[in-house]
Amino acid sequence: MCFTSQFWQLTVAGLAIGSLYALIALGYTLVYGVLQLINFAHSEVFMAGGFGGLFMVRRLLGDSAPSGAATVLITTAGILAGAAAGAATAFVLERTAYRPLRRRGAPRLAYLISAIGASLFLYNLAGKEFGRLAIPVPQIYESVTVFHIFSARVTTNQLVIAGAGLVMLVGLDRLVAKTRLGQGIRAVAQDAETASLMGVDINKVITLTFVIGGLLGGAAGFLYGLTFNVQYDMGFIPGVKAFTAAVLGGIGNVRGAVLGGLVLGLVENYGVACASSSYRDIIAFMILVLVLLVRPSGILGERLGRSA
Amino acid sequence: MSNPTLERSETPGPGSRLPWHRNEDYRRIFSLLMVGLVVALMTGPSGNRDHPTDGITGSWFHPRVLVFLFAALVIGLLMTGYDRAKGAGRGNPLAPAIAPITAVRDRMTSQPLLRYGVYAAILAFAIFYPQTLSPFWQRVLVDQIGIYVLLALGLNIVVGLAGLLDLGYIAFFAIGSYTTAYFTGKLPVTPPFTLNPLEVVPIAILATLIAGVLLGGPTLRLRGDYLAIVTLGFGEIVRILAVNGDDFFGHNVTNGPRGAVGIPHPSVHAVGINYEWTLSSLPYYYLLLALVIVLLIAFNRLENSRVGRAWTAIREDEVAAAASGVPTVKYKLMAFAIGASTSGFAGVLYASKVGFISPDNYLLLFSILVVTMVIFGGMGSLPGVVLGAAVLQWLPQVLRGKVPPEDRYIYFGALLILMMIFRPQGLLPSRRRSRELKLSEEGIGGADSLGAAPGGAAS
Amino acid sequence: MLDRRLLRLAVPLAVGALALTACGGSSGGSSGNGGKKTYTLAYQGPLSGANAQLGINMDNGVRLAVEQANAKGDLPFTLKFANSDDVGDPAQGPTAAQKLIDDSSVVAVVGPAFSGATKASEPLFTQANLVSVSPSATNPTLTSQGFKTFFRVVPPDDAQGAEAGAYMVKGLKAKSIYLVDDKSEYGVGLADVIAKNVAGPKLKREGIPVTKDYSTIAQKVSASGADVMFYAGYYAELALFTKALKAAGYKGAIVSGDGANDDQLITQAGAANAEGIYLTCPCNDANVDPNATDFTAAYKAKFKTNPGTYSPESYDAANAIIAAMKGISGDITRQKVVDAVKAIDYKGITKQIKFEPNGEVQGKTIFVYQVKGGKRAILGTTAELAK
Repeated sequence: MCFTSQFWQLTVAGLAIGSLYALIALGYTLVYGVLQLINFAHSEVFMAGGFGGLFMVRRLLGDSAPSGAATVLITTAGILAGAAAGAATAFVLERTAYRPLRRRGAPRLAYLISAIGASLFLYNLAGKEFGRLAIPVPQIYESVTVFHIFSARVTTNQLVIAGAGLVMLVGLDRLVAKTRLGQGIRAVAQDAETASLMGVDINKVITLTFVIGGLLGGAAGFLYGLTFNVQYDMGFIPGVKAFTAAVLGGIGNVRGAVLGGLVLGLVENYGVACASSSYRDIIAFMILVLVLLVRPSGILGERLGRSA
Repeated sequence: MSNPTLERSETPGPGSRLPWHRNEDYRRIFSLLMVGLVVALMTGPSGNRDHPTDGITGSWFHPRVLVFLFAALVIGLLMTGYDRAKGAGRGNPLAPAIAPITAVRDRMTSQPLLRYGVYAAILAFAIFYPQTLSPFWQRVLVDQIGIYVLLALGLNIVVGLAGLLDLGYIAFFAIGSYTTAYFTGKLPVTPPFTLNPLEVVPIAILATLIAGVLLGGPTLRLRGDYLAIVTLGFGEIVRILAVNGDDFFGHNVTNGPRGAVGIPHPSVHAVGINYEWTLSSLPYYYLLLALVIVLLIAFNRLENSRVGRAWTAIREDEVAAAASGVPTVKYKLMAFAIGASTSGFAGVLYASKVGFISPDNYLLLFSILVVTMVIFGGMGSLPGVVLGAAVLQWLPQVLRGKVPPEDRYIYFGALLILMMIFRPQGLLPSRRRSRELKLSEEGIGGADSLGAAPGGAAS
Repeated sequence: MLDRRLLRLAVPLAVGALALTACGGSSGGSSGNGGKKTYTLAYQGPLSGANAQLGINMDNGVRLAVEQANAKGDLPFTLKFANSDDVGDPAQGPTAAQKLIDDSSVVAVVGPAFSGATKASEPLFTQANLVSVSPSATNPTLTSQGFKTFFRVVPPDDAQGAEAGAYMVKGLKAKSIYLVDDKSEYGVGLADVIAKNVAGPKLKREGIPVTKDYSTIAQKVSASGADVMFYAGYYAELALFTKALKAAGYKGAIVSGDGANDDQLITQAGAANAEGIYLTCPCNDANVDPNATDFTAAYKAKFKTNPGTYSPESYDAANAIIAAMKGISGDITRQKVVDAVKAIDYKGITKQIKFEPNGEVQGKTIFVYQVKGGKRAILGTTAELAK
């Protein structure tokens, strides 16, 4: 095989980017679960997280080069700020682009269009406010090779991404499985009207679902920005890929989104090693089309949502 | 397919005893104040990479923000006063602006004489007015407006009539352009024979038709939102292939990012007519005008035919349409293919008009731009989409030098959201839509089409 | 009833039509001003969009030249400045060009700045007989398209590519070169010429469209054992690529062209990562060049910032045009300016400006820069370094 020579290295890189896709994919999947709608503007939630984290790190860091505990604290603060910015954006998004339409009982097409409008609006506004050039996140720590797995280098950045991702994924899984809110989300996903009759406040559940998706997506935005810089249009490609991941795993299915993200990250990296790197972004689209044609319900099936 | 209709209204209306923060009037003023802040940001100074907060401080921590807040407050109070005076129901804030247009339309439907009079006047205006324009505006009229009117007319079939959201529409435009470049011998691969761009038209239409069927065949069975993202993917794939086509298994096919230069202008050499288009814009304008008129007539007839009714049925309720025996996939495919070939046609004209094409001309953003035009003008309404395309392409040129061109996408985004909230039927809604609208107002029809107005339609 | 409603419709329509007409009529003509005629020297290039900064650098250069020419007082005419924003986008090029052509007082244009926009605009300039001198459009094919009024004051990419290739082979003694382009018009053009001109060392080539994640290609480059990596593209991507290369453990030299020759490369990649990167550029750095001290001081005084990439070239292009215009006797027409620019021999701050018949500038000096201590420094010209 064409990727055997660098197999482990590609695997490590694929898992790192894949866990980011997974975090974003969760946002799509959660919203899909409760609304049966693709949130086209989720990529801008991700972008907002990138900027939120960037500004927080800039403020905390100043000109100093931190060490030890300060490094950990600043990184955590960046992730939290990213999550907060993402959550705030998702909240506003739900209030402006979704709720007025829900009140009216608008058709599905209207939601798609209003979400696309919101996406267009948000990323271009970010471009106007923050400039349209990439902004690097100031260096908090030096990303070095920490250890080797089967001769593959694992860098600090990859560890931070994987660690933060893992914490959030486990947290979300517990939240959905154990808490009242999680129960509400699952109830709305299964049957909104019955849930409403049973006393679930649907509006609240939907808003909180957006916010949770925003937290995860925003944090992912900052983690992505650490390696790839922050830019107004940074959301588009990861957004499409994460959506692919969500569909791949089975949209509406929380564990499916995680699995889909990791699988997509790996396939993409192996694929690039075989074909030219110039086709990197096509690989995700091809997978998307193939999955939709062959098994639209994804690997694990659409668990939270209903198939139409 | 279930609708996310989870809740209609959460408050019983003004006058009931609710805590003030739940009162709709206060809520509206609050929302308007927020909108005021956003508008202040949109119209304020820009930040840049080195000073990323300049835009925000310059917009919000500056006296000008007061103007926007004050305006929001005044509008909010006026709207509240208007509602109180009317007693019940919330007025559509856009209604007064649109009212005269709808009035004329209503009259036009009942009086054929007036109708033809208006058509003749518009035609005369379209023929003679451009001659008085400067070459710059003539160029805008062709390169920017004319081409996009064609594109919007095509997409109107897909989005407006059949209700399919196609986000990769510009890919067909690209296929049309590249077909032209190929058959005029301007791509690195030599064609079997060279043609002039007008002769490429049938080939390009065929090519985009096939591309449309190939893409639509498998994907049109999918849910609407999946279709949107698959077409988006298709659009990007076509563009990336055009970029990478300079090394297609070792062959240079598309000349990659450098594109094709020197595509000739069209010419006619038949039955004693010898005419060649040149760099100047007016002859192209008349060519486009003729085409647009032909398409308008054709699409109008199509819309009112069996096919058009099938599309409407699918758009309104696909399950019900299928249950009553409409072969939905076949009709959807047809809409898709017709839209695609119109786009391909526009691609031919664009390529030969400008003479230079490169993958940069076919960005996803342009697909969304065309969608915006169709939505803005009125989905399914032929005069609507023509107007939508013309206005949205004309405005940026007027604002040239005053508003940075890339900022216009901020406004377009806002426009899409606002249209969906306040006027989903568009600026000039189609007649069929207006009827649906009236029915739903009287409580007869369902509100499950895009014609549903947020209450109180333009009257 | 009908009348009132129709009236309500008619008013906005009429206002709209009037507005359209008002905008349509462009102010033209070279009206007299204190006995002197007034002519306009215009700039076309990006003033907004992703490449706005590069465009503003050039816009400022032309503005400065026009202001200085008027201030000197020896002009037989008054010179005005105008600009037209094409966003660096080929689709916007013709419209931007048409705006300048319609203004009959415009007798010469500095620009268009980008090669794609130039390809789309030049047929119009040729037809209008309006001279356009580009300070930065470096695509080699531009001078072989039959554009009759196109000139440029920078050497094309093939000159830079050939020199960069020679420098890597002779100056850096490369044994194995990995050539990566960004699949942009510029990057592919530059990489093509390098690939053609590098004989001897092993050469591998790959095209990576603009992206954020360069980890896989960085692995490949690192694993290939290449001792020189040339990136044909722009600084934003090279910055990310450099980070990825360092993360992948690449130890060889990193070389790039004028598209990456910007201080932002250092900011975005981080000074430590960027240290040692070589950059070739047909452009001179006005901030360090002794010929350009006056220019740099004047630029700083007027725009409160240092001259940027292609500021000196646009300043030179504008001054060469002004010099050509000074030599014209009688009324200045577009045709006369074309002829005068063809024959110009003007000593600019970047080079001697004298055009070959096809519009290329004579003399193809390519400078080599290197990032040292977080700053770009000129090492010398390729002619000196690659002996």
